[in-house]
Amino acid sequence: MRLPGLDPITRRRWRRFRALKRGYVSLVILLVAIGLSLAAEFIANHRAIMVKYRGTYYFPTFRFYPKKTFGQEAAAAAAPAAAALAEFDRSGDAETDYRALRAAWRGTAHRVFMPLIPYGPCESDFDYASWPTPPDSRHWLGTDAQGRDVLARLLYGFRISIFFALGLAVAAQAFGVAVGSLQGYLGGRFDLLSQRLIEVWTTLPFLYIVIILAALFAPSFWMLLGIMTAFSWMRITFYMRTEMYREKTRAYCLAARAIGASHGRIVFAHLLPNCLTPVVTFTPFLVVGAITALASLDYLGYGLPAPTPSWGEMIDQALRPENRRCLWLLLAPFAALAATLTLVTFVGESIREAFDPVRYARYE
Amino acid sequence: MTPCLEVRDLRKHYPLGGGFLAARRGIVRAVDGVSFAVEAGRTLVLAGESGCGKSTLARAILRLEEPTSGAVLFEGRDLATLRGRGLFALRRRMQMIFQDPFGALNPRMTAGEIVREPLRVHRAGRRAAQEARVDFLFQRVGLSPALRDRYPHEFSGGQRQRIGIARALALEPRLIVADEPVSALDVSVRAQILNLLVGLQRDFGLTYLFITHDLTVAEYVGDTVAIMYLGRIVEIGPRAAVFGRPAHPYTRALLEAVPVADPARRRPREPIRGEAPSPINPPSGCPFHPRCPMAIDACSAVSPPLAQLAGEGAEAHSAACLRAGEGA
Repeated sequence: MRLPGLDPITRRRWRRFRALKRGYVSLVILLVAIGLSLAAEFIANHRAIMVKYRGTYYFPTFRFYPKKTFGQEAAAAAAPAAAALAEFDRSGDAETDYRALRAAWRGTAHRVFMPLIPYGPCESDFDYASWPTPPDSRHWLGTDAQGRDVLARLLYGFRISIFFALGLAVAAQAFGVAVGSLQGYLGGRFDLLSQRLIEVWTTLPFLYIVIILAALFAPSFWMLLGIMTAFSWMRITFYMRTEMYREKTRAYCLAARAIGASHGRIVFAHLLPNCLTPVVTFTPFLVVGAITALASLDYLGYGLPAPTPSWGEMIDQALRPENRRCLWLLLAPFAALAATLTLVTFVGESIREAFDPVRYARYE
Repeated sequence: MTPCLEVRDLRKHYPLGGGFLAARRGIVRAVDGVSFAVEAGRTLVLAGESGCGKSTLARAILRLEEPTSGAVLFEGRDLATLRGRGLFALRRRMQMIFQDPFGALNPRMTAGEIVREPLRVHRAGRRAAQEARVDFLFQRVGLSPALRDRYPHEFSGGQRQRIGIARALALEPRLIVADEPVSALDVSVRAQILNLLVGLQRDFGLTYLFITHDLTVAEYVGDTVAIMYLGRIVEIGPRAAVFGRPAHPYTRALLEAVPVADPARRRPREPIRGEAPSPINPPSGCPFHPRCPMAIDACSAVSPPLAQLAGEGAEAHSAACLRAGEGA
């Protein structure tokens, strides 16, 4: 990867980062995984990717097609469904059962292309008499206590975890950088006062507040993100504050002032680009923390509401006494969590090493 | 005729301590009542030891620091009372060249961006016109425009200083405050940069306030030379007068300390005793008296003002010494 248009310091750091194979490979794996998780609807879904029926193509991934679209009303009767659902199922207004459709159309001109994993993350497989079921050819990682495909939940859970963590990192760092930069740039009374407020804020017990809030409101994705951001932005302010204090005394900042550059221009065009080292080096570790925190909250039951696919909830399920024999329920989310955290940590370590001024001086 | 720059009784004091819940421990009188004037197109050199307040004076003049008191008149207008847009408009007309040629350039901007920065900030012309002006400036300061896309660390010290000079020239200023522009450079490059500055002054009619601790540089570029000691001007006058007939014992001591590159002309030297006193608690009376070889009892009691010795107006030669004109 060549990155044109970047200043030479950044380019040199990127080269060093690439030379540290472990971090670079981890980054590539993570990016591929994130890319795949973005396409999760095409990888694990009970809806087909494409249906060809009477010469017309249908793409049902994000659209609802009732059974009557594909003439499935009659076939529905044969499907072994729960008794309460059976009546509605037969009506022809219920959603198409694409897996049944594929079985029914075998040998005809009609086509159904199912995703690799033909099960959604929140869908119980009623073909089994009891759940959880161990891994087999239908569910490669088995099903959980509600009969949902573990692999599908793992995939969707990864998407939620990683985007929650990235969103938190962006929001917390943006706010923290803004506050810390203002402290360092303005200095004086504002710095003194805001620093005390941050110290007080830092001592608030995060978990208690989340538990109280979760008891009052059903936490949504955005609400949890907001709460966690409110307790994650403080750390970077300390670093930004000192970086700004140092950089603003440099002669190039004085030169910008002598030109008549506005405060905004001095901060955004001159100071911030020279102050971002701590932001880049700390962000991966903030992401690690955020993934862990979300999993912990979900595990404790104060996280995202059911039936959101979540690794913390999966671990919680696996550790219940009645599921103690179902090792696959534990191993899958545990391995996924451990692998993700390890990869992000590798990336973070390599970034830190690439930015290390001592190494930099020795090898360049 | 109104001088390009006139400074009247300028002071810059820094309180020590005295913050929130802290006792004030004293005042640093970095600049303590400095007055001078520079005619348009001329060069005034401020010379003195490090720590005598030269750089603070330069910053106070350009309002990079708020002066404690006094007036700075730029083409007759008092800068100290201007703010906001008025100050911004005047910034076009006075620029600064910095001592450290590396630190004064943002390491994340290319040389071309650095030189274009003043044009962008002041919205001077369209982009194409700005780019053309950058090319012109590069050529004028002796850099190839092909180097525009290089970053500061890819240049030598002398080249970096040329970039700094090009940036200062971008907005066609009248006044340039040069704070030790050659002190950080190799001796071999120094003469080149000095000649460049002299040539630019001739071509663009610039007025220079030139700050240096090097008296040979002062003699080379200065029309008027002012010697600073502990925040005050102790002697000021035309170059020939200050170097030919130094009136203040401090000036004489500085001149004697200038090395001469000829062993046959070695002079007996009487070095200045001791170190420059702290500007927090300056000595009573004349601040130089504890180190002065000519000090008399009255020196510790009276702080002599600048007294005119010879010449008139811009040619005046003045010194702040009770025994000015004696000795030598």
